[in-house]
Amino acid sequence: MATVECRNLCKSYGSHEVIRNFNLSISDHEFIVFLGPSGCGKSTILRMVAGLEEITGGDLFIGGARVNDRDPGDRGIAMVFQNYALYPHMSVRENITFALERAGTSRDEIRRRLDPVVETLGLDIYLGRKPTELSGGQQQRVAIARAMIKTPEVFLFDEPLSNLDAKLRGHLRVEIARLHRALNTTSVYVTHDQLEAMTLADRIVLMNQGRIEQMGTPEEIYSRPATVFTAGFIGTPSMNFFSLDAGEGRLRNADIDLAAPFPLRAGKVTLGIRPGAIRLVPEGTPDAIAATVERDEFHGDMRLISLNAGAESFMVSVPAATRLSEGERVLAHLDPASLHVFDAESGQRLGD
Amino acid sequence: MRVGRSLPYVFLGPALLVLVILAAVPTLYAVNLSLQNRTLSAPQAEYVWLANYLKLFSDDRFLNALWVSLKWEVLTVSATMAVGIGLAIAMFEAATRRWRMILSVLFIIPVLLPRVCAAFVWKFSFHPLYGAVTWPVRALTGQTPDVLAHPWGAMLTVAFVDVWQWGLFFAVIILKLMEALPPQPIEAARIDKAKGWEIHRFVTLPMLKLPLISLLLVKAIESLRSFDLVYVMTRGGPGVSTETLDMYAYSQGFIEAGNISYASSMAVIMMVLTVILFTSIWKRLNK
Ligand SMILES: Nc1ncnc2c1ncn2[C@@H]1O[C@H](COP(=O)(O)OP(=O)(O)OP(=O)(O)O)[C@@H](O)[C@H]1O
Ligand SMILES: [Mg+2]
Repeated sequence: MATVECRNLCKSYGSHEVIRNFNLSISDHEFIVFLGPSGCGKSTILRMVAGLEEITGGDLFIGGARVNDRDPGDRGIAMVFQNYALYPHMSVRENITFALERAGTSRDEIRRRLDPVVETLGLDIYLGRKPTELSGGQQQRVAIARAMIKTPEVFLFDEPLSNLDAKLRGHLRVEIARLHRALNTTSVYVTHDQLEAMTLADRIVLMNQGRIEQMGTPEEIYSRPATVFTAGFIGTPSMNFFSLDAGEGRLRNADIDLAAPFPLRAGKVTLGIRPGAIRLVPEGTPDAIAATVERDEFHGDMRLISLNAGAESFMVSVPAATRLSEGERVLAHLDPASLHVFDAESGQRLGD
Repeated sequence: MRVGRSLPYVFLGPALLVLVILAAVPTLYAVNLSLQNRTLSAPQAEYVWLANYLKLFSDDRFLNALWVSLKWEVLTVSATMAVGIGLAIAMFEAATRRWRMILSVLFIIPVLLPRVCAAFVWKFSFHPLYGAVTWPVRALTGQTPDVLAHPWGAMLTVAFVDVWQWGLFFAVIILKLMEALPPQPIEAARIDKAKGWEIHRFVTLPMLKLPLISLLLVKAIESLRSFDLVYVMTRGGPGVSTETLDMYAYSQGFIEAGNISYASSMAVIMMVLTVILFTSIWKRLNK
């Protein structure tokens, strides 16, 4: 097990710069999740750590040693790919033991290590099959077994569950969490699925256009997003934003007028609030916004209501039993403790 | 229903008809001829049934030709595959995209050359007095080496020209096949501590097993038709050391004796052997 440290990592393809000055220090046993929109450079960083992609600039340390120029096989890592990347001509058993055979491990030792891995992932009955004779989920379990048996210093996962259906994804996610608890190996996990990120991560690294947008525990990122980008990226249904003018202890525009949650300098701000933090209230409640119901989506455990207040439109989630008809007039109240205020110019969070 | 039944025949019919005319007629004619004692010098002939075949098996020159053909097959097929795979891996590992393009074009040129041309060019290059290939030996030792006059030298030289044409071409095909492979298993193998050649030994080549087998069979069939190459370069010589079955059949049929029936029986044996051999190889390798 080991630490991983990226110091000023850069990556360019020709003149096209993809990653610039990427700094991250991952401690022993930690489970880090890279989250971010498509094309932001998550896979690129992971592949640089793995040694599959040349590092253009900066230093990469694994277990305290600089590994920039080491072969992938000598970095003490194991990787699980999105499309499994199993060896198609080898049986499941050969796939799993390939790395040990290449490393010159003795037969007895291989057999001794194979059994627990196969048992953990429930692959006993498939050992003789070829990868094409397995379902996607089974193939990915083989890929995880292939990574596990090496007892690597660091596990790397590049969207391992993206090719699976929702149910299987949930199932394997739990399995990966369980494995991590048992093995406690330092892990880096790339995904664009928030649920995976939230449930697996010790720390989420949220990326945007090759930079780290925010880094922190799932709670920190969810409850104190540092930028408008983070606030909008994390959370389903996603956060509502209003462009407001701050001044005289109020936040207002043509249609909305609210008490500022904390003293603010006069100027333009972006106010964010999650649909769950807005309540529909009876007539006469102070600081409520008058709105009309535009759409009503049933989500099973709750309803997502689109409201219109003048030029503003926003979403509210209400209990599933609530009955509202389109065009109905309601009053919406924003929970003052759940307001996120961002500078309209820089997108940075204001206040605490 | 009737339309559905007859459709296969409608499509197969014309092709089968062409095949029957082009392949079956000469084949049957050759079989018929091989059962007679026809020669080019006399118009009349009578059936001698299997006499030609019996004679063949006590004909040392025929047995030699059989052996030469076998050596030729094994030598050229294995050398072509080895050169093709070796060069393809070398290009895959070491050459940039640009260089791969340039080398591919260069490597395709030999196979585009008509075989007779290639044979003449190389025959001259190996000429003991004027050849470019033999020049360094002449310059260094003052001797005039004549590789084509030596039994094994002749065999290896002719095989070299064959491999020069096909091995380089196969290298291009195999390189393209390797480039079309999914990159992830190769990356996984690198992470699994496989070094350079091990990646190809254990991952890329096994993934290409089927296309490689097809190439091997294509080359095996192609090697059977090396008549023009051998004819130009050695005429089967020195002695009978490069006389393959088709060379011997040709000289029996048209050059030495005009013994056309005897030659036909050789052709029939060659056909039967080829069909049996190739079917069994195909079945075994494709398992
Ligand atoms: N070989 C390459 N040549 C040029 N540009 C590349 C190459 N590989 C990746 N890129 C660019 O690098 C950027 C980051 O790619 P990367 O694969 O890391 O994205 P990602 O965050 O993993 O996205 P996704 O979630 O879709 O997998 C992209 O803009 C992509 O266009
Ligand atoms: Mg990716």
